[in-house]
Amino acid sequence: MFGLEWYLGISLVLFFVGIAVILSRKNIVAILLGVELILNSAALNFVAYSRFVTQNLDGHIFSLFIIVIAAAEAAVGLAIVIRYFQINNTIHVDEAKELRG
Amino acid sequence: MFLNLLFLTSALLTVGCSVAVLAVKNLMHACVFLLGALIGIAGLYATLGADFVAVTQIMVYVGGVVILMLFAVMLTGGKDHVSKTQKLKSLIPAMGNKTSYLIGCLTALVFFLTQGYLVSKLLGSIEVQKQVDTFSPTVQELGELLITNHVLPFELSSVLLLGALVGAAIIARPRKARPQYEEEAEEHH
Repeated sequence: MFGLEWYLGISLVLFFVGIAVILSRKNIVAILLGVELILNSAALNFVAYSRFVTQNLDGHIFSLFIIVIAAAEAAVGLAIVIRYFQINNTIHVDEAKELRG
Repeated sequence: MFLNLLFLTSALLTVGCSVAVLAVKNLMHACVFLLGALIGIAGLYATLGADFVAVTQIMVYVGGVVILMLFAVMLTGGKDHVSKTQKLKSLIPAMGNKTSYLIGCLTALVFFLTQGYLVSKLLGSIEVQKQVDTFSPTVQELGELLITNHVLPFELSSVLLLGALVGAAIIARPRKARPQYEEEAEEHH
């Protein structure tokens, strides 16, 4: 009953909510939440296309690798955030301007 | 019937919780809403017949990533517990003048037109199944694909995970403690 368009619509909503979270939040951990939402929308697209179009399991494998890479990215990103908090005592994005060119 | 119910529940959970991540002020609540959205996405995977991906989603995200996020919020929260969401409206005048807005709008228009043309051409050329009713277990086939056709990215991802975890441990290690130890050692001498 629910075809490909429904999954693409949900994925679109997830993607734009992730973009809005990245643009509007000022806390680095909240920005990482937005990145997770965007990665999940991409993985959902892969699995939906692999069911409704190609009908093999390549999309599942791609989505599994997306999950692995998102876990690694979250570990490294949160380590950097915690280290930055130890040094500067804040994780407000506007305060992080040491690398500004 | 059950499938439609599962799809509707998961879709509502996903969309509602992800919008709540955007809207809610408290960062701790945002993490919990992200957990709800990820569980909803696992339900959507289940309706697509991707059983292994759904279980992996729950194990890795709900059991790992969201817990990490919660720990990071608790470790860095402190007095700045409520995140400051900034209103986008007040940002708009600070971003440029009329010429740059005009160039941006033209670029967006050209981009959307070309993308729409390409997508419509592409959608005409692929065959989309209206409905797929067969559900078969995917675990055995996924395992065979991972050690035959996709063995190189499989092995590379193990190296990537090892590097990421060791790097995370090294980055988060407190380095300020070392001079104090040296001073104390010198005092003892």
